[in-house]
Amino acid sequence: MTTLSTISVSVNRDRFDAFAGQLARTMEADLVLSSKGYPAETTSVIGVRPVAELVVTEETTTDRIKDFCFSTPGLAMGFVSYTYGMKLRGISSNKPLDFPLGHLKKYGATVEYDKDNEQAILSSEDQPLLDELSELLKTSPDELPETEVPGLPTSPPSTSLGRAEYEAGVRETLERILSGYTYQLNLSTKFTWDCPDLDPLALFLALRKSHPAPFYSWLNSGPNKVLSTSPERFLRVADGHVLSQPIKGTLRFDQYSPELVSRLTDSPKEDAELSMIVDLIRNDISANCEYGSVRVENHKSVFAVDNLLQMYGDVHGELREDRDCLDLFFDAFPGGSITGCPKKSSMTIIEELEPHSRGIYCGSVVVIRDEKNMDSSIAIRTAVYGTETKKLDYWAGSGIVVDSKPASEYQETLAKAEKFLTLGER
Amino acid sequence: MNILIIDNNDSFTRNLEHLLATTVSGADVVVEPYAHLASLDLAQFELIVISPGPGSPAEYPGYERVFTSGKPVLGICLGMQIMNEYRGGGTGRLPGCMHGKTDRIMFDGAVHTVARYHSLCVTKVGDRLEILSENSDTVPMCLGNREDRLLGYQFHPESFLTPDGGAFIDYALDYLGLR
Repeated sequence: MTTLSTISVSVNRDRFDAFAGQLARTMEADLVLSSKGYPAETTSVIGVRPVAELVVTEETTTDRIKDFCFSTPGLAMGFVSYTYGMKLRGISSNKPLDFPLGHLKKYGATVEYDKDNEQAILSSEDQPLLDELSELLKTSPDELPETEVPGLPTSPPSTSLGRAEYEAGVRETLERILSGYTYQLNLSTKFTWDCPDLDPLALFLALRKSHPAPFYSWLNSGPNKVLSTSPERFLRVADGHVLSQPIKGTLRFDQYSPELVSRLTDSPKEDAELSMIVDLIRNDISANCEYGSVRVENHKSVFAVDNLLQMYGDVHGELREDRDCLDLFFDAFPGGSITGCPKKSSMTIIEELEPHSRGIYCGSVVVIRDEKNMDSSIAIRTAVYGTETKKLDYWAGSGIVVDSKPASEYQETLAKAEKFLTLGER
Repeated sequence: MNILIIDNNDSFTRNLEHLLATTVSGADVVVEPYAHLASLDLAQFELIVISPGPGSPAEYPGYERVFTSGKPVLGICLGMQIMNEYRGGGTGRLPGCMHGKTDRIMFDGAVHTVARYHSLCVTKVGDRLEILSENSDTVPMCLGNREDRLLGYQFHPESFLTPDGGAFIDYALDYLGLR
């Protein structure tokens, strides 16, 4: 019988990130890296030497995923794609599935960042591995190095919906809103760059340094590398206490000033966008929460990430005694902020209007600890690099409501893609 | 009280369930999808609630059995429009389509803030349905018939934007003769 050993080492967050980058480079580690001061701040986790993996397909049941996560100790980390959510919600698709519906792993060792004590916590049942990691940590650099990213794209991306097509999609969405089939719908476009010489990890780490956000994730999935720079929490469960923090309402700025915040919070359009999704999230967690426990706090709060102001609200609840965090997750998946409302009808229209498959985009990166503890992002601001296809894919979208203007919504999608669209200028 | 909510593929149904469960003492609330409508055993319920949902009443056939069951019926948003069309009323596009916004309406002798989510509205009121509330643009916000135990709200008492949602459930229980 092996037992779990842990070692705690004092490091600051910059050094933890540098260590994470080192392990991703040398040991194919998977990473969730957070930053402090954001509403969706989470615990940074490094996973090395997977001991079990579950690649989710159309045949994989939620019970199988629960079994994978809960039948053995240790955290599970990975992603669940939007396309698995389509299966859960009964939305059929004719688009080719070119990306796993999910991929979860359990690890031979994990390293987590304890922000309160500024420590890296190394855990493993494998003593030699633990010793190896702690030796590596001793020699890790103080912070991520400033380096050039090799192989950045030099030509503009191809798009699944260019300006004219996207704006036509917005107009069609408005027509569906006026007919009552959707009240709000998130319409996205996909950008694809050919970049045969890209070093995707170097890109991920460079973005991590230049554009901090609370839910950065680097995940290895077969030939695919996931580079997620999400600022948004989907669902956290902490000892049964549920928190969702949907983001709706975006304002791009060049120079931050406090009055910009009220420009966002005073906008009836942005207010309606967020309020609608808050009601939707209340609904989605209610199926697994105690009666009377679901409440909204900090409605219309604002934070800045990259050059964007983002508005959000906190939706709290208490998980029912007889339910676990994955019951909650799968009943609420995919997150309402990236589908629209009502969810099923909006997802059906999205499938019709978007020529691309969303894949991991608008799915979730998840860290599942046990039946009552997990955290997850909404996988927006997320790219995938195919090491075989040599293509970098990125998606961006915008919430369409009745007051939306097609041209402004297109500008909003570009703003959300800005850090990737300007890669060639680095 | 045994309460049935028939869910028209909406994303607010569980909010309604929680509101009913926390407002009605001793409530046992069951949610069934619209797809099960034809086979539902209605006899065991004391109140039947028709949920909001996307689209128009014409896309939701089969509610006759609910209205002829003799049970009190509460319709929310689309649910109210379904009730209205069953009584021969009409539905059309709402000028200035409204989603996720509040309105202030006169209801039961007082001004209330209510959440509105609707693209469509009642354009012709059905037979023997009384307008119990309308907004400043004369859009029907509440329809009912006390004798037939039918009540509909166009707005959303279950939204967090409706501060006193429970008051509308209490009103419904009184109006429908459930206490």
